[in-house]
Amino acid sequence: MPEALIDAIVGMRMDEAVTLAKRMLDSGTDPLAIIADSSKAMEVIGRRFAEGEAFLPELIMGGEIMKSISEEVMPGGAGAVPEGSRGTIVIGTVHGDIHDIGKDIVALMLGIEGYAVHDLGIDVPVEDFVAAIKERDADIVGLSGLLTLAFDAMRSTVDGIAAAGLRDKVKIMVGGAPVDESVRAYTGADGWGNNVGHAVKLAAEWTDGDA
Amino acid sequence: MDHIVEEKLGGRLIADWVRGAHLHFANDEAREKYGARAQLIIDTIRLKDTGKIPVIPAATQKFAFDYGPVTFREAMTDFDKVFDAYVRQYEDTDFDAYVGPEFIFPAGMFEALRWNRVRLPGVHLPDDKSFQFVEAEYMKAEEYDEYLDDPSDWILRKYLPRLSPELEPLAQLPPLRNMVAFFQGLPDLVLAAAENPGVVDAMKALQASGQAVQEWFDYLGRIDQELGGRLALPHLLGPMAHAPFDIISNYYRGWRGTIVDMYTRPEKMIALMERLLPWQLQYGIDGAKALGQPIVTLYLYKGAEGFMSEEQYEELYWPTLKKLILGLVDEGLLVWIFTQGKYDSRLHHFKEIPAGTCLIHLESATDAFAAKEVLAGSQCIEGNVSSSLLATGSVDEVEAYCVKLAEVCGRGGGFMMDFSAFLDEAKRENVKKMIAVARAYRGDGEPGRI
Repeated sequence: MPEALIDAIVGMRMDEAVTLAKRMLDSGTDPLAIIADSSKAMEVIGRRFAEGEAFLPELIMGGEIMKSISEEVMPGGAGAVPEGSRGTIVIGTVHGDIHDIGKDIVALMLGIEGYAVHDLGIDVPVEDFVAAIKERDADIVGLSGLLTLAFDAMRSTVDGIAAAGLRDKVKIMVGGAPVDESVRAYTGADGWGNNVGHAVKLAAEWTDGDA
Repeated sequence: MDHIVEEKLGGRLIADWVRGAHLHFANDEAREKYGARAQLIIDTIRLKDTGKIPVIPAATQKFAFDYGPVTFREAMTDFDKVFDAYVRQYEDTDFDAYVGPEFIFPAGMFEALRWNRVRLPGVHLPDDKSFQFVEAEYMKAEEYDEYLDDPSDWILRKYLPRLSPELEPLAQLPPLRNMVAFFQGLPDLVLAAAENPGVVDAMKALQASGQAVQEWFDYLGRIDQELGGRLALPHLLGPMAHAPFDIISNYYRGWRGTIVDMYTRPEKMIALMERLLPWQLQYGIDGAKALGQPIVTLYLYKGAEGFMSEEQYEELYWPTLKKLILGLVDEGLLVWIFTQGKYDSRLHHFKEIPAGTCLIHLESATDAFAAKEVLAGSQCIEGNVSSSLLATGSVDEVEAYCVKLAEVCGRGGGFMMDFSAFLDEAKRENVKKMIAVARAYRGDGEPGRI
């Protein structure tokens, strides 16, 4: 049954996956075990995505299926993605920018990769990043933005984190379609990326020392 | 063959556009300069080897505002002030065409309706930030059939009320399709209006919104006259149409909803896109006629590599987009296709369109040098100069990249110099260097002769 569930999720068959999950629940399977199986499916999708075999729609659809399953088997329960152990990441779109697709995908992938991800949303003020770093004891901060206007907001966020005395405590990545090395240098961040693969690789380098 | 093309709508519009039929020129020099620039743009799209590289601006926002200076808020409210900023920008640069503030919509248009699909400077964001669109689920998954059955009814009584609290009362109107029977269904309609005073208020809000648009159109007309008639710059951005897939994703279902639909109800999506196709085609044609502009612009959104697989592109995105482009080309119109994001693997599809009819904009995420190889002899390409490079790079770095672009992509014609995306933060000296590199191009086919 777990194999069938994983297969249905990886195959993007939402109705079948939810029906299977319900059947597992009815036959006495622990809801947490069902969530764990669903997470395994997401890992498969995440791996295929990283290798260029799966695309954004699969990743998002996988997340949607997982959400439906968790609502079905653990109504009102905690989030479907278990808290990660590889490190804690605070992520958000910087103030003045409300774009979220790229940021959401990076947050989802980092969660699949085993990080505890705290997504502060869009148009996030500097002080919210600072507060979240303290509260969550973050290792990594992800600053997202799609507009070139976001560069200044990224820089002021990095400055704000430094002013709060937290700069040496966290690694900061800036990301978004127009972001490159020159933007990293301008903002004073530690790393940059313009796709989800970059973000995952950077996080791994910083937390595990992976190449 | 030329005779047949001339008889088409596009042929007539191209001739009028090149001679600036809608403009009052300040003097003969402006008229001559305008005509030469417009002809160069048409010839370049037609893939003639002119030995020149036209320079065009994708669109400028804060870059132009800084010539005022004006804030984003002022750009949406104080049209006289932003008018001066755009004029100064084009006086200070040497482009071959202009794109104005066509996307800097009047704040009053949105505010009168409390339009919730947009976040505005001065309302939701600081005055110096760009307005941004919100992508949300405005159409529910189960509403495809309702839309397909009676699109105008869905738009009037469902879509508009969801976009604007001022227009919520429209949901109380009866379906207009019921106005066919006894006294044409008049009692139902008028009763709905009488029992819902909000319907009248909704009409007043529409009127107030419309007044803001009237002022804005008047200002766009003045800009066209000033930039076209005095500074001799042809207007590049006019009529528009949308890829049917993008309409569903950007305006109706949102990206998440669209993805779920791609897996759970693709046949409904295809039916809706086929329904949208002839309307978008007509919209582009009507716009071209109304504006006297032969170049129809399509901004592409969700077809980029990051958003979907090639298979999904070929199954869901490209078929109706291709029909739309072919329909416009069949009218003799030219199509400015603004690809956004990484588009390398999709570019070969544009070879399915008759050669020399499209101008393909490339962002910096796409490899322009590879694109030249793919599309040489097929379609004209433009763009690709990174906005980030223009914002944070040095003049020498800009020059080095633009020289390479001119040498590789300019060879044989079919290329225009342009930046990657809407220009906000960019150093003036960098933009001027980009233009200077194109100006210095002599196009004799010899490498290094820039």
